[in-house]
Amino acid sequence: MEFVTPEGLRQDGRRPRELREMRAEIGAVSKANGSAVFEMGNTKVLAAVYGPREVQNKSQQMSNQALVRCEYTMANFSTGDRMRKPKGDRRSTEISLVIRQTMEECILTHLMPRSQIDIFVQVLQADGGTRSACINAATLALADAGIPMRDIVTSCSAGYLNSNALLDLNYVEDSAGGPDVTVGFLPKLDKVTLLQMDAKLPIDVFEDVMELAIEGCKAIATYIRNVMLEHTKQLEYHRDG
Amino acid sequence: MVGLSTGEKLFIQAGIAQDLRTDGRGRLTYRPISIETDVISQANGSARVRMGGTEVIATVKAELGRPNPMQPDKGKVSISVDCSPTAEPAFEGRGGEELSTELSIALERCLLGGKSGSGAGIDLSSLIVVEGKLCWDLYIEGLVVSSEGNLLDALGAAIKAALSNTGIPKVHVAAEALDNEQPEVDVSDEEFLQFDTSGVPAIVTLTKVGKHYIVDATLEEESQMSSAVSISIDRHGHICGLTKRGGVGVDPSIILDMISVGKHVSEELLNKLDSEIVAAEADEEE
Amino acid sequence: MLHNKSFVKKTKSGKVMKQVREHYLRDDIYCGASICKKCDSSVARLGASTSPILVLDTNVVLTQIGLLENSAIDDVVMLSVVLDEVKNKNLSVYNRVRALCSNPLRRFFVFSNEHHKDTYIKDMSGESKNDRNDRAIRVAAQWYQNHLGGATRVLLITNDRENRRKAIEEGIGAETIESYVKSLGQTHLLDLLVQSANEDANMEDVEDLRPSKRKVLYSEHKPMSEITSGLHRGIYHQGKLRVNRYNPFEAYVGSESIGDEIIIYGRTNMNRAFDGDVVAVELLSRDQWHEEKSLTIADDEDDEEEDVHLVPGSADDAPRAASVLQGSSGDSSSSSPRPAGRVIGIIKRNWHSYCGSLDPMPMPAGSGGIAYALFVSKDRRIPKIRIQTRQLENLLDKRIIVAVDSWDRLSRYPSGHYVRSIGEIGDRDTESEVVLIENDINSRPFSSQVMTCLPPLPWSVSPVDIANPIRQDLRHLNVFSVDPPGCKDIDDALHCTALSNGNFEVGVHIADVTNFVHPGTALDDEAAQRGTSVYLVERRIDMLPKPLTEDICSLRADVERLAFSVIWEMTPEADIVSTSYTKSIIKSSAALSYVEAQARMDDSRLMDPITRDLRNMNALAKKMRLRRIERGALTLASAEVKFQIDTETHDPLDIGMYQIREANQMVEEFMLAANVSVAEKILKHFPLCSLLRRHPTPTKEMLEPLIRTAVAVGLDLDVSSSKALADSLDRALGDDPYFNKLIRILATRCMTQAVYFYSGDLSPPEYQHYGLAARLYTHFTSPIRRYADVIVHRLLAASLGIFKLPTLFLDRPKLTTIADNLNYRHRNAQMAGRASVELHTLIYFKKRPTDTEARIVKIRSNGFIVFVPKFGIEGPVYLTGKSEKQSGEWFVDEQEQKIKKLDGSITYNILQAVRIHMEVVEPQPNRPKLQLTLL
Repeated sequence: MEFVTPEGLRQDGRRPRELREMRAEIGAVSKANGSAVFEMGNTKVLAAVYGPREVQNKSQQMSNQALVRCEYTMANFSTGDRMRKPKGDRRSTEISLVIRQTMEECILTHLMPRSQIDIFVQVLQADGGTRSACINAATLALADAGIPMRDIVTSCSAGYLNSNALLDLNYVEDSAGGPDVTVGFLPKLDKVTLLQMDAKLPIDVFEDVMELAIEGCKAIATYIRNVMLEHTKQLEYHRDG
Repeated sequence: MVGLSTGEKLFIQAGIAQDLRTDGRGRLTYRPISIETDVISQANGSARVRMGGTEVIATVKAELGRPNPMQPDKGKVSISVDCSPTAEPAFEGRGGEELSTELSIALERCLLGGKSGSGAGIDLSSLIVVEGKLCWDLYIEGLVVSSEGNLLDALGAAIKAALSNTGIPKVHVAAEALDNEQPEVDVSDEEFLQFDTSGVPAIVTLTKVGKHYIVDATLEEESQMSSAVSISIDRHGHICGLTKRGGVGVDPSIILDMISVGKHVSEELLNKLDSEIVAAEADEEE
Repeated sequence: MLHNKSFVKKTKSGKVMKQVREHYLRDDIYCGASICKKCDSSVARLGASTSPILVLDTNVVLTQIGLLENSAIDDVVMLSVVLDEVKNKNLSVYNRVRALCSNPLRRFFVFSNEHHKDTYIKDMSGESKNDRNDRAIRVAAQWYQNHLGGATRVLLITNDRENRRKAIEEGIGAETIESYVKSLGQTHLLDLLVQSANEDANMEDVEDLRPSKRKVLYSEHKPMSEITSGLHRGIYHQGKLRVNRYNPFEAYVGSESIGDEIIIYGRTNMNRAFDGDVVAVELLSRDQWHEEKSLTIADDEDDEEEDVHLVPGSADDAPRAASVLQGSSGDSSSSSPRPAGRVIGIIKRNWHSYCGSLDPMPMPAGSGGIAYALFVSKDRRIPKIRIQTRQLENLLDKRIIVAVDSWDRLSRYPSGHYVRSIGEIGDRDTESEVVLIENDINSRPFSSQVMTCLPPLPWSVSPVDIANPIRQDLRHLNVFSVDPPGCKDIDDALHCTALSNGNFEVGVHIADVTNFVHPGTALDDEAAQRGTSVYLVERRIDMLPKPLTEDICSLRADVERLAFSVIWEMTPEADIVSTSYTKSIIKSSAALSYVEAQARMDDSRLMDPITRDLRNMNALAKKMRLRRIERGALTLASAEVKFQIDTETHDPLDIGMYQIREANQMVEEFMLAANVSVAEKILKHFPLCSLLRRHPTPTKEMLEPLIRTAVAVGLDLDVSSSKALADSLDRALGDDPYFNKLIRILATRCMTQAVYFYSGDLSPPEYQHYGLAARLYTHFTSPIRRYADVIVHRLLAASLGIFKLPTLFLDRPKLTTIADNLNYRHRNAQMAGRASVELHTLIYFKKRPTDTEARIVKIRSNGFIVFVPKFGIEGPVYLTGKSEKQSGEWFVDEQEQKIKKLDGSITYNILQAVRIHMEVVEPQPNRPKLQLTLL
């Protein structure tokens, strides 16, 4: 398969180092404390945050920090094939864990002892990079819920196909069997909080690919900041008006 | 799930009795409804419906299948609903399954008619491609994204919108196959059949609180219900399906009264839905 | 800008799924015209000349690719929509177009119209895919016209009338390819034009030259939808058509659906399919399976006589034996017949250009310079091709290349067009080139990019190499090489030192090619593509440039060279105690020929170190060989011949069987051992991506002709295993001293060839090398002339931790492609070598009619095939004239493998010796052939 033409265009018309179009919407679930929809191309994820609130299962309560929980679910209609998506299968458990760890790291949990924060991410449509989209949506939802955070965390993936480092793989590129490097990044602190890769990649190429993914994270961070700023302005406007 | 004090409960009940509900609505007024179509591009049709704080997504996927031998001239439709934990933390894990099943069955009852397929709100015979051999199977999936009461009406509306958003590829049957063989088909990429959704009913749920009944109950109001009747009614005022929920018995005459009120409300609701759907489709065109 | 594209996809299980893909539209795609002021001109390819900018439609590219490759056509815009369509329809044309687009000497520019915001078009409802794409092409052409303003003319080249009409309506300049080429005023280009099918009508006159009437000769090909449905329902079968190399009226289609080969008898059943086409086949009813067989031979009037050819070296070279005899005897005893079928549709054409000559014909009078002629391909599997030419006189005595364009139901032959001529028929250089072209061998000089990858000359081992810790200094060892006389590309050298403990240290030193050929360089790509050096009788086509082949890598005597060494400690019984692998520096003390080495060993007076080492090695090699044979390795015989070539004229002076000496066997033994050791080492480290060589166990059917012959001469062969076969071959001793060798030759030709593969593609039991009775085998010892060895060198170096494997080794499908290419190149190189020997045999006998002894190896209905041991060739001897075929007084005894005269006066048995006369005859002018007649 040719994933990059000699003219330097990917199958969907992007150049190798371009992100897909992003769209974000804050506050989709009115009942939740914070919520957001985040789209990267055709990947569409909804995140809702409940909390900080009373710990539901007292045995899990921690006296020095908040309990952060996360559940990742895929809608039955989120992929091309119509399949019942089992709940709590290995893959979703793993992704839940990854998202939870990533978000927990940047939430100032010590400020909210004996409380619980639930993050629910719901994949509405999957077209590659759901992991990253989930983290980005969760960041926005946490911010919407007003939960104190060290920094926003953004995520992006990059891969390597046809001897080209490609940013933000879509489903077709992702299923090509090449490596897929997912990075979670704290832009202000300039730190990587999440790094995952499948398949093999020589170390020097890996460096390039990871750098590219970090570039992607930074671009997403800029976008997310703008979205939050815009949203805050709207809120102010409504309050004043 | 909803923790209310006695005072709050009385306030809600009294408000309903005086035709002034806690959010300022009258008993037979809906919350604002907004519809967006084609929200899930991978599906053949999809819609997102908001009713106040309630938000649901419905999608339609079409697949070629074999008709049921008992009904060789009809396609098949299945409806299933999922409740996302984003709507309510209690839906986490398997927590939403009970409600999901209840909603799925209620929707099937309201929209799909009897076992024989007769009286269905969705015209099953329009799904047939080759009688007895090939038909379209529609898989309707609902997802509750935000739950603030009256899920059934919202899902019904979303399904109606998603169906009118559904384009089914045109199928050319290549060669007439032998008796026991599946016909070879050519599925068109360019031509789509639009569904006739004028017959698809709307669902109106009347929730009985005290002596009165209200439409479009919020979560708090639902916690006070004694029983609820969901009626699906089409454009011609025909009742396509009916479900009574809630344990308290109701006098038959009251049920009949509820039905006639429901029928009245449904006209407004259908008009509202139709105009919202048209607006949404126009939005999408842009 | 974003636009979602959705389409419907049918999955394998017949489900219909909606697929959605994003489709971004951009504003940074440039037009590529150097005169354009708006676009970034750094990428511009289209010249500033006055010639118009051409926008081609898909069909023009597909049909006229040969013309496009001519440098007279330039300033071409290749739209991405066209490229995509071409890619879907014909991958080889696509690759050729891509090559044009990347050739810096040509002005072809790829414009990604599908992603340009102004040239992307949405599908309109009710519009077919083709109409949509035609519209996209017009929109792009119009965009160019507007974009460039009046600066240059933009021409849409399309032969589709409707498309042209619409274009002109929309104000776009549009022409057919014919009228455009005519406007260039270069008549020679006109011959390159592919005739479109609708112009076929005016070619009827050529048909009239033949006695056959103009009638429907072939049944119609079924439409694709019907084929798919038929395949689905199992009434049709899909597969690649393989025409029998030795009988073009018989073809095979390997079908997965019925798990067997379907035989297609005769051209009518083949229904215009070419060798290599992917076809849909319908099975004939069972009772027709037999009767169709007879068609094979009787069918067509232009049935050619079989040529004299080299003795096949393996089953891959040999004719399919089965059907030849059975057709005449009509016996039904031969178990169940194989299914026969007929082609009902062609799924994918494998048309390319073919090499051959025109059928001799008189010059037609007064046809305005245009003549129609029939082209006969060198490749007998290809039918004759009709072409139209304006230079008939010129072409009659030439070898030419012709491409196929179409084949309609009414014509016996496909139509094509002339591409270029190679030279005069019979001229040795021309014929050698034909051999190369026929076998897809690249004999062009290496490009300058490749040459820049070479180290500066003169090269010598540098202090850096010596200081390199990965390299062991073995210059003190007494290393020498043994090769055929005159060998310049010396891959391997040996040493053998007696150790104090009574054991021997034996080293195999192989040229360290990968020290100079680095992955990812132009040099490496070129070598990978060539795959192997090709040895013709009078020349060698190198895989690597000459300085590497003959000097820098070659382990010549008395110079220091870099090597990759495998060193064993062996007991005097030739048991391997330990094996080590290392990069090294060696200095060969002698480059011996086989004859020299043999002479030294045989000369008891010589006691010098080299001779001593030679004798030690020979003793070890004999033991190794014996052990190998005990394990069941086959000693197969081939009938390789050797020419003595006149150094001035390159004409063959003498011809004879290649003599195998002990020295050859000694070197071979150590090379085998090195290859096996390396195979074990790399597989241990890289179980999934090691390049190995396997030799599949022959099936019972493949050995069938051998068994039949053996039975006829009263020999009992046990073929249950390679060991059993080896033993029974050893027992096959007749009164005739040559008998054993003959049987071995017959056995050899039943086997298929060994092939390269990657270990990840097969399971370990399949790795086996049948002929060598080795569990594992690979090629390590000839990296100068085989690319497989280069790969294996890299793998071995990586397993020693001194080299990092390129990422390529992670790409499984890519590896499989590489192995396939190596097998293809290897096979073609062998075919070319054989063809070259056949060519020289013909040249040799032209001046030397000879009488000699021959052996009957196969009985046929009208004679037999003989094998001429002295010259390594075989060919038909006819007992009856061609006209009396099948009838006459000869009778074939299938069981006994005999042909008898009906009156019983004469009988010829299989393997019987006969005397024959060999002479070159010219039945038609310029078409010499070697004829064998019985004395």
